[in-house]
Amino acid sequence: MTRVLQTLMDGVAVGSTYALIALGYTMVYGILRFINFAHSDIFMLGAWFSFSLAGVFGWTLAGATPPPWAAVVVLLGAMSGTAVLGYAIERVAYRPLRSAPRINVLIAAIGVSLLIENIGQLPIAFGTQPQRMPSLLPDAVLFEVSGVSIRLVDTLVIGIALGLMAALEWLIYGTRLGLAMRAVSTDAQTAALMGVPVDRVVSATFAVGSALAAAAGFLYASKYPGINQPAHATWILLGLKAFVAAVVGGIGNVRGAMAGGLLIGMVEIFGAAYLSPHLRDVYVFALLILVLLVRPAGLLGRATVEKV
Amino acid sequence: MTPALFARGVSIRFGGLAAVSNFELALPVGGLYGLIGPNGAGKTTLFNLLTGVYRPDQGEIRLGERDLIGSAPSAIAASGLARTFQNIRLFHQLSALDNVRVAQFAHRRTGLVATLLRTPAWRREEEADRAAAEAWLTAVGLEGRGAELARNLPYGDQRRLEIARALALRPKVLLLDEPAAGMNPQEKLGLRSLIRTLRDTYDLSILLIEHDMGLVMDVCEHITVLDHGEVIARGTAAEVQVDPAVVEAYLGSPEAA
Amino acid sequence: MRAILPWVAVLGFAMLAQVAVGPVVGHYWTKILMDVGIAVLLAVSLNIVNGFTGQFSIGHAGFMAVGGYTAGILTYYGGAALFDLPPGAVAPGIAGHLWFALSTLVGGVVAAVAGVVVGLPSLRLRGDYLAIVTLGFGEIMRVLLTRTEDVIGSAEELATAPWTTQVVSTGGSLGFTGLPFYTNLFWTWLWTGIAILVAYRLKESSTGRAMLSVREDEVASGAMGVRTTDVKVIAFAMAALFAGIAGGLFAHEIGTTLNPAELGFQKSFEIVIMVVLGGMGSVTGAALAATILTIVPELLREFSEYRMIVYAALLVVVMLVRPTGLLGHREIWHAWRRS
Ligand SMILES: Nc1ncnc2c1ncn2[C@@H]1O[C@H](COP(=O)(O)OP(=O)(O)OP(=O)(O)O)[C@@H](O)[C@H]1O
Ligand SMILES: [Mg+2]
Repeated sequence: MTRVLQTLMDGVAVGSTYALIALGYTMVYGILRFINFAHSDIFMLGAWFSFSLAGVFGWTLAGATPPPWAAVVVLLGAMSGTAVLGYAIERVAYRPLRSAPRINVLIAAIGVSLLIENIGQLPIAFGTQPQRMPSLLPDAVLFEVSGVSIRLVDTLVIGIALGLMAALEWLIYGTRLGLAMRAVSTDAQTAALMGVPVDRVVSATFAVGSALAAAAGFLYASKYPGINQPAHATWILLGLKAFVAAVVGGIGNVRGAMAGGLLIGMVEIFGAAYLSPHLRDVYVFALLILVLLVRPAGLLGRATVEKV
Repeated sequence: MTPALFARGVSIRFGGLAAVSNFELALPVGGLYGLIGPNGAGKTTLFNLLTGVYRPDQGEIRLGERDLIGSAPSAIAASGLARTFQNIRLFHQLSALDNVRVAQFAHRRTGLVATLLRTPAWRREEEADRAAAEAWLTAVGLEGRGAELARNLPYGDQRRLEIARALALRPKVLLLDEPAAGMNPQEKLGLRSLIRTLRDTYDLSILLIEHDMGLVMDVCEHITVLDHGEVIARGTAAEVQVDPAVVEAYLGSPEAA
Repeated sequence: MRAILPWVAVLGFAMLAQVAVGPVVGHYWTKILMDVGIAVLLAVSLNIVNGFTGQFSIGHAGFMAVGGYTAGILTYYGGAALFDLPPGAVAPGIAGHLWFALSTLVGGVVAAVAGVVVGLPSLRLRGDYLAIVTLGFGEIMRVLLTRTEDVIGSAEELATAPWTTQVVSTGGSLGFTGLPFYTNLFWTWLWTGIAILVAYRLKESSTGRAMLSVREDEVASGAMGVRTTDVKVIAFAMAALFAGIAGGLFAHEIGTTLNPAELGFQKSFEIVIMVVLGGMGSVTGAALAATILTIVPELLREFSEYRMIVYAALLVVVMLVRPTGLLGHREIWHAWRRS
């Protein structure tokens, strides 16, 4: 029982980070119908921006005691930084390819991804050494349930992630921008004819998706403070699992991405805890193959027929 | 006699839209039938249903004796139902000749190993196919143009190439989706005689979608009129032309105007 | 006769490389020429999937790993049993080399089977799922391979180890060390020549045209009677076959170690870059790009830090200014003639 609860807590924490990343994949796919390969690098940058920003304030030094508002500053800073970057990437690398075959955009995205990783590794950027994220989120044992300590940091990670998802729900279903986003994702051509500024909507989508990924990067680094160097395989792998979450939930479907993220987090963490900790990635991809076989449109996605 | 192509009760919905409902058709062997209707009536959707691109929600479709429901588009095509596309879908980066030769693949007898070893049997089949493909190009009036890339051909020639490609499947039934769209009057005249010749020379049954009424009324011996997915009239050209439902569908009802 | 001549030419070319080129250029360049051959083999085979059928596989290194480890187990443990030698010893004479050739081929076949298993669920679907599934496959292979046991080094230990233990004793994350160095210019360029010939003959055949038609327009292709899923799976299996063989060559090459980290997605991406830069669908383009991208970094070792940055930037720029790559869909002699 103890172990189940602990695992559940971890699963939700990891799953909600996946969900935040998956949202970026799914929103871009919903609108432009391509896999933004560089999205996992935006997530990585979220973690590294957070670390660097904390460094600027001196919070990474040994013995530093960051003030309570440190987390807010770092989180918002990292989110704004990646939002600008996500916007810029779309402008420079993807927009000129808007009418090109999708495979070209996919290749360009892989190029952007490799570019970010390899520039990130340079000594003038983040270098090739792993770093330790200072604990900016306060931590304490909140309470104990039958021997499991519910920790504040886990609760905060989950809380912030769920808060951001609620904010996104409101953005998409409660604002004019969200209405425009939904219109473009249903039918970009018609939306353009109706006067929706498609380019601006796409830009906004990239900015919002990137900001969410950065938040995921911050939260992930808060839970697992050892941050790997920018080109490390773990980043791509985490991004990939988040993409799997988007596909499992139903690519293009925002709520699907949230549900898929949580599901993938659970599968991975429970698999790691009860089967074998070394094969956690294998469970996730096995689930992907299974979903593709039995329900290619994803759990919440609707099967659509391509117009011929 | 069994019709070449038979459909009954064929329906499909896209969300709330009944794109085709309860469609019926019996295209006799050697028949040249027309399918008309205003924009968005569901004509192309019907072709997609017949060729297996979409799967109907209900209904029955048979090619000769063969039940087509649930078969893959490639299987349907290989069993003798060929089509052209309204929004030209050629293999743009391939030569005109190669476009035609793709359609011969389904009937190839030599396999992958023979291909890689280039056995004599493979070579003979390759030669025969090439000659046949060139003959198909000639049949539609594209002789000597085989080496050109499909995307470099003028519009009217692209439409013709689509027909040659469909013919190379050696179909029993040919579905033509607006073959005259974008053609000038002279090209249309050529197309008109081409359609007739094809039917007479190759034992084809043809179903033709066309907005050019002159063309349809002239070549088709029977016409089905669709509107909002439903058959609103059927008969000879003379019959459907005076049918009040058809007139209303094309001109709009008096209240709407 | 005309059909057999090219095979003879490939054989002659490989022999020439071994007996005439190798001794002249010396050890350092022999190694580079083997690297070039393996890179060409990988690029030309991936091109069958990415260039011919227009699908997007980015897990080629995963198939390389499958083939490499399979071949390695066969030469290392199988060779020890077969020739009654200590594990990892090169069997003397022609027998050893024939065993090696068979092992690489088996590695290729196992990789092809893996290709079918991976390809079937994802190739049914249209779209970019293949990219994700192949990338995931490559990563799973890598993770699984890091979990294997230590290599059995001594003949005494080997004598008591059952074969079920042997096949999982491939060194984990340290790599499968101690494999015999069988790979030479002859085997490298023989397989590479075969792959080039197969790819080219495929492209100029009805099966190849069916693949190209899938790339051009999958719906139209199906409507013309092409069983698109089958065609894609065939392309995918052929590509995996050659990738597996390349893995076998890589595993037994001097100066490389077969370890999981070497065969991660970085490697897959490098192969993708070669195909894209050379021209999607161009056999000679892929071969040319693989050659250039293997030799140039060798010459510019001081700048190796910037190599991937340059590659990545090139990838984006090529997509923006010349989306079909250097040669586009054409072969090198076409480009010569026209422009
Ligand atoms: N895959 C699909 N998903 C949703 N709606 C579709 C799909 N295919 C067709 N439709 C809709 O079905 C209706 C019929 O379209 P269809 O293309 O069959 O018309 P049509 O008679 O061929 O018109 P036109 O003369 O303009 O070619 C249209 O409203 C179209 O938008
Ligand atoms: Mg139509």
